[in-house]
Amino acid sequence: MVSKLKRSDRRQFLKRAATGAGAVTTASLFPHVAFSANKTLTVGMNIPMTGDYAPWGLPGLYGCEIIANNINAAGGIEIGGETYDINVASYDHGYDTEKAIQGFKKLALEDEAKMVMMLGGSTVAACLPWAMRRKVLTTTLLPSDITPDSEYLIATCESHPLYNVTGVEWMAKTFPDVKTAAIVTNNDAEYGLQSAATYKAAFEVAGIEVVDTNLHGFDVTDFAPIVSSILAKNPDCVCMATSFYVTPIMEQLFHQGYQGKIISCTLDYYQEIIAKTSEEFVNGTIYQFPDFDDPALTEEGVTFPDPAGFDAAFRKDHPNDWSAVAWEYPAILLNWIENAKAAGSVETEDVMAAMKGNQQQFVFGGGNWWGSQLWGLDNALIGRWPVVVIENGRARIQEYGDVAAWLAANKDVLVKHMQELGLRTV
Amino acid sequence: MNRSALTHFAGIVIVLVILAVLPHFLRYHHQDFLIFLVINILVVSSYRLVTLTGEWSLIHAVMMGVGAYGSAILSKQFNVSFWLSMPLAGVVAGSVAALLCYPLFRMTQFYFLIGSFAAGEAIRLSWIHFIKPFGGTSGVSGIPSPELGNIDFLEPIPYFYLVLIIVTLCLFLLYRVEKSRVGLTLHAVHWKAPLAESVGVNTWNYRSLAFITGSVFVGIAGALKVHYIGTVTPKQFDIGFMVFILIWVIVGGYRTFYGAIIGAIVLSILDEAFREFDELRPAIYGAILVFAILFLPAGLESLPQRLREKFGRSGAKEAG
Repeated sequence: MVSKLKRSDRRQFLKRAATGAGAVTTASLFPHVAFSANKTLTVGMNIPMTGDYAPWGLPGLYGCEIIANNINAAGGIEIGGETYDINVASYDHGYDTEKAIQGFKKLALEDEAKMVMMLGGSTVAACLPWAMRRKVLTTTLLPSDITPDSEYLIATCESHPLYNVTGVEWMAKTFPDVKTAAIVTNNDAEYGLQSAATYKAAFEVAGIEVVDTNLHGFDVTDFAPIVSSILAKNPDCVCMATSFYVTPIMEQLFHQGYQGKIISCTLDYYQEIIAKTSEEFVNGTIYQFPDFDDPALTEEGVTFPDPAGFDAAFRKDHPNDWSAVAWEYPAILLNWIENAKAAGSVETEDVMAAMKGNQQQFVFGGGNWWGSQLWGLDNALIGRWPVVVIENGRARIQEYGDVAAWLAANKDVLVKHMQELGLRTV
Repeated sequence: MNRSALTHFAGIVIVLVILAVLPHFLRYHHQDFLIFLVINILVVSSYRLVTLTGEWSLIHAVMMGVGAYGSAILSKQFNVSFWLSMPLAGVVAGSVAALLCYPLFRMTQFYFLIGSFAAGEAIRLSWIHFIKPFGGTSGVSGIPSPELGNIDFLEPIPYFYLVLIIVTLCLFLLYRVEKSRVGLTLHAVHWKAPLAESVGVNTWNYRSLAFITGSVFVGIAGALKVHYIGTVTPKQFDIGFMVFILIWVIVGGYRTFYGAIIGAIVLSILDEAFREFDELRPAIYGAILVFAILFLPAGLESLPQRLREKFGRSGAKEAG
């Protein structure tokens, strides 16, 4: 009986019990890592998980955890003769530059992350000087973060906002009666203006006249006057570019009886928009981010493994959290793993050499390095990009557009509009 | 030097010695945290100077931004050295504050609070609207670190020592201002304004002086911050940060020089300690605030006195 044990025996008993309990707890938390003989390979995510930008951070972490768990459950990955389990370390910077620097250093030095994924914008700019000096491979979803000096900063998935040209191209081809467009988006140089400039360029190339560009601040709570103002110009198409306010703008368009075409970069949480408006109204909206149960993702050229299985796993665990970034960070992780395998190393310089030296397989097919003509360095991977339309209340891919071909033919138009809006170009 | 002053001096020396060795015992990202914490100490101390006259403004974070943008633009676009742009950041912030004095100090109390918020938002929105030279919401990036011989100020420990020296110097000056005749007059403007005016004190001038002086020091704090981060954006100086400044001062206490400093230190450390709780963090932080306001209305600075009273009284009862 425990009560009759000697003091030293009791101490030993308690110690063993505590060790056992600790082991069981650890195993339940990390089922694939705890008993694995594999080495652990850590990748970092320095992203906003709280605050206004959380929808463009947290779903990506959930997605990467699914990918890492699948890899670990399958026995890990072999790189350079070693087998590794993937560990995703994260840090919530809440889109704060101070926290972003702290998070980056924690991930790179304390967690020993071999690659750090970030959303982009000022948080990336804050980390760049230190990250580039320490040669920490860093990824962004905003290739406009790339500078002539950012050698180890890459954009291997989202080439925001360049892919938006594919939506306009498709719309002009499919609906030739669309002759005028009005742009409404947030006036910020990281998302709204970059996107507005790209849409302006795409509209110009497609022969669509932009009759109004409404750039509003971040403090707007009532979109009724803004939407009334743009509808007064009677546009055939309303373009929301990369808006943080897609839902309220859509609501206002619905309530004010708009019946023309709608085009946008994102349409995150579109089921919520349908609930607030109607399926009939949202049907036909053109944007750029597919659901991953889309049958078109099984087409040749798409490199994301089992998109439908990923979509199902994500929605099972996080039914209300799917956003544009849910698959993007995982796609970046998978691309990095493929290049680390090819390099036989997880070190930055080796992986970068593999990335630049070998043909890259972009998530939707294709894959060329681009960027020196706009940002000073070819560190953005440009490939095919889907044009998505809401059909019967579901996002469905219509076709894959060729971003590289559009840029080759129209780069000067894009640069002109970027400069007109005061954006940085080389 | 009397005994009280000697104790005071010894306390300051001990704190400085602890601070000097502390970064060597911290993890890398906590070294960065320490840098920002020391900068924030200057922010709250300079804010306290403004509040000495009884006026609570909502523009202090923006004045920090004025200094930050000033130094960033000077060093990036005009190649002005950090050693010059950092003090000039204080001059720029002080000058903008001087311009604002006329409209703002026509108001007092609640009206001043709202007026200062409006003026601050006007400045912050101009950073967003005028992409040249402020860079819009992306702000200005690529701001160079200070250069001095072979010292690498991109690394946290050298920069921490630089910040520690400058902030200590600024705190000393702020302390001297408060303890000077001017500081006593500021107190008089707060507590007995009609009496002060009746003996010839121009309260408008003293309110303006406190506001300008506080802005000069917070402008320097802004420069210190952005030359380490390397980027400055309007979001860094939004109302959210201003609320943090207010909370640090209120929870720490504003009756003594060190109250606001204690508030900034304790709450910043708590905020960092609860980092692992992610989405629960704001709720935990809020609960601590409510608790502090309910049970420590005079701030953390009153805690030693309250403890002395409580235990002194119970000790006296036991003895009786």
